[in-house]
Amino acid sequence: MSATGNLASAPVRASDEMLRVRQRALMRHRINQGLVYLLAIAISLWVLVPIWFIASMALTTPATVRTFPKGVLPFIPFSFDTMQFFLNSQGIIPGLINSIVVAIITLVLSTIIAAPAGYAISRYIFPGRDFYRLSILAVRAFPVVILAIPLAVVFINVGIYDSVYSLALMHTALTLPTTVLVIGSVFASIPYELEEAAQVYGCTPLQAFRAVVLPLVAPGIAASAIFTFVMSWNEVFAASILTVRNRTLPAQVLSTLNQSSEPYQFAGAFFMMIPALIFIFIIRRYLFNMWGQISK
Amino acid sequence: MKKRYNWTPYWLILPSVIYLALFFAWPMVQALTLSVWDNTARLRLHAEASTRSAIAGSLPRGTPIEVLERQGNVLDPDDLGQSNLRTEVWFRIRGETVDGQVIEGWAPETRVRVRSTDATGAPTTGTIRPRIGAAADPLTSLYSEPSIVSEVVGRLEANTTVTIDELTTLELWYLIRGESGGEAIEGWAPSRYVQVYSDNVSGRIDSGDAGELTLRYIQAMINDRFFWPAFWTTLLLMVIIIPVQFVLAIIMALIIQQQLRGSSFFLYVFAIALGVSELAVGIVWYAIFTQNGYLNSILVSLGWLAAPIPYLTADTRYWIIIAIWLAEIWRATAIVMVIVVSGLQAISHEVLEAADLFGANLWKRVRYVILPMLKPSLQVALILRTILALQVFAVVIALSGGDVVTVLANEAYRQYYTLRNVNVAAAYAGLILLLSMFSAIIYLRMVRSHEETQG
Repeated sequence: MSATGNLASAPVRASDEMLRVRQRALMRHRINQGLVYLLAIAISLWVLVPIWFIASMALTTPATVRTFPKGVLPFIPFSFDTMQFFLNSQGIIPGLINSIVVAIITLVLSTIIAAPAGYAISRYIFPGRDFYRLSILAVRAFPVVILAIPLAVVFINVGIYDSVYSLALMHTALTLPTTVLVIGSVFASIPYELEEAAQVYGCTPLQAFRAVVLPLVAPGIAASAIFTFVMSWNEVFAASILTVRNRTLPAQVLSTLNQSSEPYQFAGAFFMMIPALIFIFIIRRYLFNMWGQISK
Repeated sequence: MKKRYNWTPYWLILPSVIYLALFFAWPMVQALTLSVWDNTARLRLHAEASTRSAIAGSLPRGTPIEVLERQGNVLDPDDLGQSNLRTEVWFRIRGETVDGQVIEGWAPETRVRVRSTDATGAPTTGTIRPRIGAAADPLTSLYSEPSIVSEVVGRLEANTTVTIDELTTLELWYLIRGESGGEAIEGWAPSRYVQVYSDNVSGRIDSGDAGELTLRYIQAMINDRFFWPAFWTTLLLMVIIIPVQFVLAIIMALIIQQQLRGSSFFLYVFAIALGVSELAVGIVWYAIFTQNGYLNSILVSLGWLAAPIPYLTADTRYWIIIAIWLAEIWRATAIVMVIVVSGLQAISHEVLEAADLFGANLWKRVRYVILPMLKPSLQVALILRTILALQVFAVVIALSGGDVVTVLANEAYRQYYTLRNVNVAAAYAGLILLLSMFSAIIYLRMVRSHEETQG
């Protein structure tokens, strides 16, 4: 009864009140938003500042690298001398070539083997499908890199030790589970009805796949291939175990780490980061597609 | 989804199954085998100097032995390059005896002086060497086969000219006697397994040709002075890295979820570390923590420090641990974030709006709505991170040189690469695999229960 009384007697005050409540909510929302921004910027700085440091060390003269205290402002003086010094060091250019060869073979092998499997787990229901998926997940979680040690013994016995090709075989084993899961999720995001529709309009299953599905999944598969490349490019443990004279770039840097100068190390670190900075930018939209799969 | 049951999916997954069997399952079995199987533990002795003859018994590697007799034996040409091989060369020669009869047979290289060779360097003619010493037999025997136990076909005088028709390389076999378990064992063995001392009668068994289960490698691993430090450091790093990483990852994921203006920029920045090499991260943090690095630069420039502190030294292990801790958080939080974000995306907006409507503040929403619904994703990320933490490697080497602070993966590398101890390295690999397998079993269970709750 009193409620109706209030409403009837004081409509103006009520709207006043509501306005204030709304304003307060808006304020609070803005403050919250501001706090979230601050936090986001703080975390971004946490990620970016170390990269900033190493970039400014790599893109200056070796003499500047050795000075103390180091300036926080970067690139003074700006110079490619340190990078040049690193790239001209012994074993770096061959290492770079080996790294690229290994990563490309890994990318091709891994995509060729994983694509059909990814298609199978996203398009078919078959006995053993869950077991297969779980096994792939388990392999994904395993420290596959450690298997480089027994594989080295096998490779020595077979006579293919210390070659970029055998290292690529190892890297393919490392990246394969991820690639299967990612390609699976890429196919799963394309409704099967599209394929069916194409078949209704007279395509053979293969034609339907090529004309309809392939163009749609191509960007996702390309993203997965890029990530495979980055994984192989970064991998250092197996590369150090499985190669001696044909070292990849990270293995080469690691093996000379203790004897090398700081300009060499810093330039090396920055150089190894460059592909990551570029490629993660290219594939950032697909990242959740890729890694989200792990938790599903 | 195609529901038709047919063979197509099996053909499609077959390549990946074969590949993983070859390069995942097989090396895994190998790792476990190498760490418990000593494949040169025992040497099998033959009743006669032939690989086809019966086994008289076996002696463990390292047994002192007595050499009773020796004999050349035909060698597989594939084995010629093998180390430790003691060989002797025999010639098939033709020559005239004192009574004018031409005989043909085998004589050891030591009895013939080569006089001429053909274009390829193979000996063609030679003379019989005289024997030194009055007591020695002045004649040299020719045998029907390249072996001193074969039949003698004739004897030649010293300095007789002979033509050399053929030569063959033989491996020495020894008739040896040794003791094993209080029992004397006698038999023939090829020279490649036996080391004979300079007195020519005593020696030891260098390596074996038969395997045996052994705990030696595992013991060697555990007794290594770096084992326990590596083990505990690995666990310590796991314990201090993972909680911080999860809190940070959840905060990052919630920020991404807010769909701020510029969120695609934040997403990129937060995800950068996903693609950065472990070694590069180690060097980046080395640049910060080294004595004339960025941390000291900033502190000294601000006047908070009079002189730079050396952080990464053997006396300040805790600083190295802190540096590894920061580097790992910097590097590996991104993957947890991505898993959490995809978990968050699965939470329906209605639930969050309802919570909002009922006046739940941010903390309450996180604590009572978001975290419980994220639980499956978090568990998965937790196990994945746990297993990844067992593999920390390059960061540790970059920051500590691999000696002052060490971890299990680094020890596996040291055993393989520096100490050339493949079996002990495999024992480390096996240990890491077992620890991971343990985690993976839990991981699989969680995934399964996750899939069940999702229906």
